[in-house]
Amino acid sequence: MKKNKVLLLSLAAALMLSAVTACSGNNSNNTDKPTATNAATGDNGGSEPTKEKVTYTIYNGVAGSKDGNTNETTIGKMLEDQTGVNFKLEFLVGDLNTKIGTMIAANEYPDVLIPDAAMEEVMNAGAFIPLDELIEEHGPNIKRVYGNKLDQMRSADGKLYILPIAAQVGEFIPDPEAGAGFWIQRRVLEEAGYPVVKTLDQYIKLIEDYEAKHKDEKLTGLISLTHDWRFFATANPPMHLMGYPNDGNVMINGDTLEAKTYAGDEATKKWLKTLNDLNAKGLFDKASFVDNYDQYIAKLTSHNVLGFFDYKWQVDNALNVLKDAARKDPSLDKYRYFPLPITFDESITDAYIDAEGGVVTNRGIGITVSAKDPVRIIEYFDNLLKEENQILTSWGIKGETYEVNEEGRYYRTQEQIDKINEAFNEEFGFKYYSWNWPMYGANSTLSDGNAKGVAIQPEVFQMSLTEADKAILGKYGVQTYSQMFAKPVFRPWYPAWGFAKEQNSPEIMWETKKDELTKKYYPKMVLADPGKFESVWEDYMKEFGKLDTAGYEKWTTEKAKAKVEAVK
Amino acid sequence: MAASDVKLNKKYKIQTSIGDRIFDICNYTFMILLMIVTLYPFINVLAVSLNDAQDSLKGGIYLLPRVWSLDNYQYIFKEATIFHATLISILRTVIGTVLTVLCSAMVAFSISRQDFVLRKFVTVAFILTMYFNGGLIPTFLLMRDMNLVGSFWVYIWPGLIGVFNLIIIRSFIENLPESILESGKIDGAGDFRTFFSIVLPLTTPVLATVALFSGVSQWNSWFDVFLYNSSHIDLSTLQYELQKILQNSNTTAGTSGMDGMISGANGAQQNTVTPLSVRATMTIVASVPIIMVYPFLQKYFVKGMMVGGVKG
Amino acid sequence: METNAIETTSMPPLKEKPKGIKLFFVKLLQQRALVIMSVPFLIWLILFKYVPIWGWTIAFQDYKPALGFWDQKWIGFHHFEFLFGDDRFLRVLRNTLAMSAINLVFGFLTAIILALLLNEIRKVAFKRVVQTVSYLPHFISWVVAASIIQTTLSPDGIINELLVWFGFVNEGNEILFLGIPEYFWTIFGASSIWKDIGWNTIVYLAAMTTIDPAQYEAAEIDGANRLQKMTFITLPGIKSVVIVLLIMNIGYLLESGFEPQYLLGNGMNVDYSENIDIFVLKYGIAQSNFSLSIAAGMFKTVVSFILLFVANNVAKRMGESRLF
Repeated sequence: MKKNKVLLLSLAAALMLSAVTACSGNNSNNTDKPTATNAATGDNGGSEPTKEKVTYTIYNGVAGSKDGNTNETTIGKMLEDQTGVNFKLEFLVGDLNTKIGTMIAANEYPDVLIPDAAMEEVMNAGAFIPLDELIEEHGPNIKRVYGNKLDQMRSADGKLYILPIAAQVGEFIPDPEAGAGFWIQRRVLEEAGYPVVKTLDQYIKLIEDYEAKHKDEKLTGLISLTHDWRFFATANPPMHLMGYPNDGNVMINGDTLEAKTYAGDEATKKWLKTLNDLNAKGLFDKASFVDNYDQYIAKLTSHNVLGFFDYKWQVDNALNVLKDAARKDPSLDKYRYFPLPITFDESITDAYIDAEGGVVTNRGIGITVSAKDPVRIIEYFDNLLKEENQILTSWGIKGETYEVNEEGRYYRTQEQIDKINEAFNEEFGFKYYSWNWPMYGANSTLSDGNAKGVAIQPEVFQMSLTEADKAILGKYGVQTYSQMFAKPVFRPWYPAWGFAKEQNSPEIMWETKKDELTKKYYPKMVLADPGKFESVWEDYMKEFGKLDTAGYEKWTTEKAKAKVEAVK
Repeated sequence: MAASDVKLNKKYKIQTSIGDRIFDICNYTFMILLMIVTLYPFINVLAVSLNDAQDSLKGGIYLLPRVWSLDNYQYIFKEATIFHATLISILRTVIGTVLTVLCSAMVAFSISRQDFVLRKFVTVAFILTMYFNGGLIPTFLLMRDMNLVGSFWVYIWPGLIGVFNLIIIRSFIENLPESILESGKIDGAGDFRTFFSIVLPLTTPVLATVALFSGVSQWNSWFDVFLYNSSHIDLSTLQYELQKILQNSNTTAGTSGMDGMISGANGAQQNTVTPLSVRATMTIVASVPIIMVYPFLQKYFVKGMMVGGVKG
Repeated sequence: METNAIETTSMPPLKEKPKGIKLFFVKLLQQRALVIMSVPFLIWLILFKYVPIWGWTIAFQDYKPALGFWDQKWIGFHHFEFLFGDDRFLRVLRNTLAMSAINLVFGFLTAIILALLLNEIRKVAFKRVVQTVSYLPHFISWVVAASIIQTTLSPDGIINELLVWFGFVNEGNEILFLGIPEYFWTIFGASSIWKDIGWNTIVYLAAMTTIDPAQYEAAEIDGANRLQKMTFITLPGIKSVVIVLLIMNIGYLLESGFEPQYLLGNGMNVDYSENIDIFVLKYGIAQSNFSLSIAAGMFKTVVSFILLFVANNVAKRMGESRLF
């Protein structure tokens, strides 16, 4: 027994000892910190823009491309020739918070960091250097492109630590594709004689009628995407049906800037009741609530689903498969989907098409305290924002990846379109430079009147249309899908889902809890016996009532007002 | 060992009764059913990996590809980094496994000796560590302070001894007939010699088991690469490179969440690969090499191994 | 332990019987080979496993990775209060315990039974093939496995098709397996067994190699049938391994895994699928709240230790082999 005690004691002693050494070990890390910062700032002074070649590192918190050097691409090489700077890019592979957490704890950063969703964390850790003076001295193009929108990004101390990714420059050209909407199979429209469909009731009726006439085909009326974080595809429609753009969890009144959540709103009730009715009639696919994303995409390509609501980027894969099939065999065109601007009531103007707004304030790119030479980095960014380089990163090289016609309009030949596949994108550098750099927004207008984004350019879009596309657009008297929708309105606060939120803040808590509730109760309401819908809704509201929704709305309103104020 | 098997079989055959035969039929039927159920996922994954990626989106691939294509494999193998990464994976698997088996066996031997004065202390100290950890960041800081970040040895040192493996080996050693260990003592063999010339050979089945466990976990791990060596491409492993390729296919398919929402308008081109297909293909690429190891280790699990040792 | 100590003291016939600390060092010197084989690893253990425990302090802090140890804000038991105070904590704990108990009991039973049955197969080639095939699902990641399970269980999946074909279910009324909360534990258990049964048998098969074939021969001469040989020779032969594994796994009772629940879980079955790890993911890791996950980890450790010592003592009382 005695021996045991001795052993236990020595074990305990070992533990204590290790704890102490660990603490002191940790402590010594901290003393490193100021020196590291000093070293970084010390470097600042001595670096006049010498043009010797240097390589800096960028850590990209968005899982994106494969790692590599920018100068291994055509675009990157040209930019290196201009600036002497090459970037070694590393992209996130695992969990963002983990990776960022280790960087912060070790106080070792890449030269440039794109913290993505962990932006607030990195800012709080003091990992970024203020950019104001650098921009003032070395960033004429940055100032030109971002202008007062930079004020939307300022921290509480009034300084700017992070550059927003994209900013709108020049006139706003809406995307010719529909970014979101209620989609319907083309054969349904054809059989109904291409009616004008504006309201949810009309849309549902169209589906019901078609299904009734084709009983033996075992069609599914409506499916909805609910898998994991993609659940918003099922939760967001009430907002759109009320005529609001995708502001995430809130609808913001354009005049008063009051934010109002809709998860516990009549609009949501009405939407879920509609699905509930559909389900009672056997027209809603119950499996929507258990299917994963792959199963959802598979169903959309199965030809059996008549309609769904979603954002285009989520269903692009499915739409492309259907489009390819229809290219090869035009008789399959009827199984493709057509976007419709559905609202609750004809009097409501829809807002599906992304509008011009402010900058997205919870994402950005910053220069860290570990950066060896912030001046050259900011110069690189500034150089990148020159219009010629914006054309280079988006359109590429004239004669190689795009052409200019007599009127000065940019376009791509069929040959060029075919050439630019995934491998080419990587090699040329389109992939590296497509996102997460300071840049013009895709909907921007270049000074010569062309669209900055290739896909936004009407000439390019027209080339992508098949005969059948043109025919169906013709039936509705429009040239692009987005013309089916109301013209987007300038909303300086937009998008509200991009308001930066503190980790662990009441706002994040509200969102997490709300997501849990909706994920749990929406299926119950939709699949409930119609007679029981009301009581499940009441159960849900009881739970929802426990959340501090007023606080969330107040916070969002304040943020929206501040963001609008910044650009006044 | 083969000889003893044959011998046993003969004896069984003589006494085969009806009950035995019914048992055999049931047993074999059960095994065949089991094989169907356990083989299916692999066949399914193989079929998806050999099917055209765009076509796979439609679902409904079960046993055979619908539109044969090697594009998915091409997409993975066109990455030049894969080959060096495979080398690192093999290195860490071999070095890590050999070291962990040897070290675990040594500790296991020492704590299997009832008279070892530190037995209880060492045993408890090891076992307790199975049920706690200090958390991610303290561990990371430790690795950094020991200069293991950016080093190959970060794959080896932290997992030098797996406590689970240690305990299994210990049970085996304790199960060895006392007489064998005693015989070593009488011969005047020291503890070292007992360990190397008696214990190690006699515990081959469990050492093979442990080697398999640790080899598979070494081969499959990528989290440590992510945490410690993500910016050292020369230390990247196969699994980590495959994860990268998977991520890459994710964004080309325009499905990377919020950023897809914003950057979608930049005109991402349609792609031949999809995460669905890449995931299937990487499962095959990553698992086939390690699965092939099994048959080689398997012979050590075959019954009768011990007998030779004891009798010979 | 007591008995061992007495035994060892009585064994070596030394001129002068040393006592206490002195005896300890004398023995240590005698067993220097064993010391060399274990103590270096003990140092390794302390460095790699015990040193990072300072991280537990994080659970009592409003932890900010950027700050040093002394600059952290100490907030006492706040994170524990959040964890235990949440309405769902009991439910989440129940799910964790239920699923891990299912894993423990059925995972163990099925693996042992499979090992026994495999042992009865005399065609070595067939046995090898079965073994190799049965462990294949272990190499398929849960992401892929979950996707296969979801497809299989979907209304148009093979299970529903079979049910319709046999007439158990009417067409159009296919069962939404993953949408029925009460089914979740069964689905989870079956999936886990399916995925790891072959893998888990390996250790038992290895254990069976230690059984002396002479025992079987002797039993046969006594006229024992196969079932008797199984219960009286094979099972006792692997008993010690089984018990040691069982004790170790009982210590893991709060670790019910994370991936299958996360991947197969959805809003409909969340009441049965959400376990502690998922809760911690949502409110801790996903929000960069490192403190919460450490608090949860400490809670698990405490429970593990208690379970471990209880299980070990029970085994000791029953005269079985034990973990320590």
